[in-house]
Amino acid sequence: MIDDSKKDCCPGSDTEPTVTRSAAPMWIIVVTLVLLFFGALFFDSHGDLGGKQIYTPFTSAEQLDSFQPKSGADAALARGKTVYDSVCGICHGVDGAGKPGQAPTLVDSEWVVTKNFNRLAHIPLVGVNGPIQVKGKDWSMSMAAMGASLSDDDLAAVLTYIRGSWGNKAGAVTGDDIKKIRAEMGKTSQPYTGEQLKAMAE
Amino acid sequence: MKNGIAIFIAAIVALGASWCGLVLAPSLQLGPARLTTVLNSTDTYPLQRTGEASLGLQVYRANGCAACHTEQVRQDGIAVEVMLTSLGTSKAEDFKAFVQSLFILPELAPVTNTIADSLQAWNGDLPKIFLVTGDKAIADEMVQRVNAAGVKSQLRIAPSGPDLARGWGTRRSVAADFLYDQPVQLGSLRAGPDLANIGIRQPDANWQMLHLYAPKSVVPNSTMPSFKYLFAVRKMAGAAPSPDALALSGEFAPPAGFEVVPTAAARELAAYLLSLNANVPLYEAPFTPVTSAKP
Repeated sequence: MIDDSKKDCCPGSDTEPTVTRSAAPMWIIVVTLVLLFFGALFFDSHGDLGGKQIYTPFTSAEQLDSFQPKSGADAALARGKTVYDSVCGICHGVDGAGKPGQAPTLVDSEWVVTKNFNRLAHIPLVGVNGPIQVKGKDWSMSMAAMGASLSDDDLAAVLTYIRGSWGNKAGAVTGDDIKKIRAEMGKTSQPYTGEQLKAMAE
Repeated sequence: MKNGIAIFIAAIVALGASWCGLVLAPSLQLGPARLTTVLNSTDTYPLQRTGEASLGLQVYRANGCAACHTEQVRQDGIAVEVMLTSLGTSKAEDFKAFVQSLFILPELAPVTNTIADSLQAWNGDLPKIFLVTGDKAIADEMVQRVNAAGVKSQLRIAPSGPDLARGWGTRRSVAADFLYDQPVQLGSLRAGPDLANIGIRQPDANWQMLHLYAPKSVVPNSTMPSFKYLFAVRKMAGAAPSPDALALSGEFAPPAGFEVVPTAAARELAAYLLSLNANVPLYEAPFTPVTSAKP
């Protein structure tokens, strides 16, 4: 029999509402994973965390790299001039003509305008001390190892610049060349004398 | 409560996910930002502000300048221009003929029309930009070819966009520009012009002072409110105004015998505005400076 008193009181109250667990539909899980995958791909190609920063309108690190104005002789000369003016120009003069009592000229100098640049590269890397002859003039100065703290590329750019400016017409120097010379040189700390440099391969 | 733990965990995950996206990811990306180097140079960027300009940043903040001014320049695109700088010994007609002869190269096919168009009415004036393209490889190829033929040309990296066309900058703003800003005040409304490069556009401190005191005295159509309270109107000590008094005239001038002098806050704000200068090429925003560093 039906219990009348209960029925009158609250219809349907004899069944407690419950929440049942049911697994999410498989397709939602698959779609979420696919979206995550492509999101991660997009994130990866549009700038990596903590590293290079890729801003609009650039879309990838490769594209940004391709737009760096570092290729070509003009870029090397421009970079070389900037380095030269701040590091070398104080003594050698921004026109490369040297300054009496401070530094000899670089224009048409037999130390600069040479076929190879092995000897020239050693001068900023190690420094020079004592008497040295430049374009028939005797100098007895000391030059510190001004180039030792420059990066390979910066030193190469500055050598390219002094070999290719003010009427000098000698070949360019690349960062890899400097790297090689640095590796071969080892740990020389004493500045060279003019005699030592002369004995060195050009 | 049924399933309390599950709801708690779901709430933590939801909040944690947005924290990762809005706080963790940006701080991993921009947190390690340090001084950077100007492209093709050994100069570091950005420069630390002077003390006065650093204080000015707080004046800028206190007066709500960022409510109407932004400090970020947008950039829509980037193009590579090939600029002819010297013809060497050849004539303009020779150069045109030479470029025509290159058109058979398959790698130049996408740009032959634009080159032909730009060279058609050209009468030999230098420098001449004869190719603008979004493809750096094509531009590199073109520079190599024409330089091998004895003329001189160079690549120019040219950012573009409406903000740049308005003269508000030469490249987009990047995170490095704001390294020393505390807080960073990008702004989002442009009731007034963008100020990312105001230090270059209006490098005169006196102009900045006049503009703050009475904007309409230097820009007749300005809608900027006057910041008169950053200045003091005081009686002249002698017959002549003191050296730092503003040179005001007409309706903006103070009563006879009085002068308008900037307070410390006005000087700091002007110093801050003059320090806004985001105009050097960087790795993440490259461009070719207009003044070539070439000897």
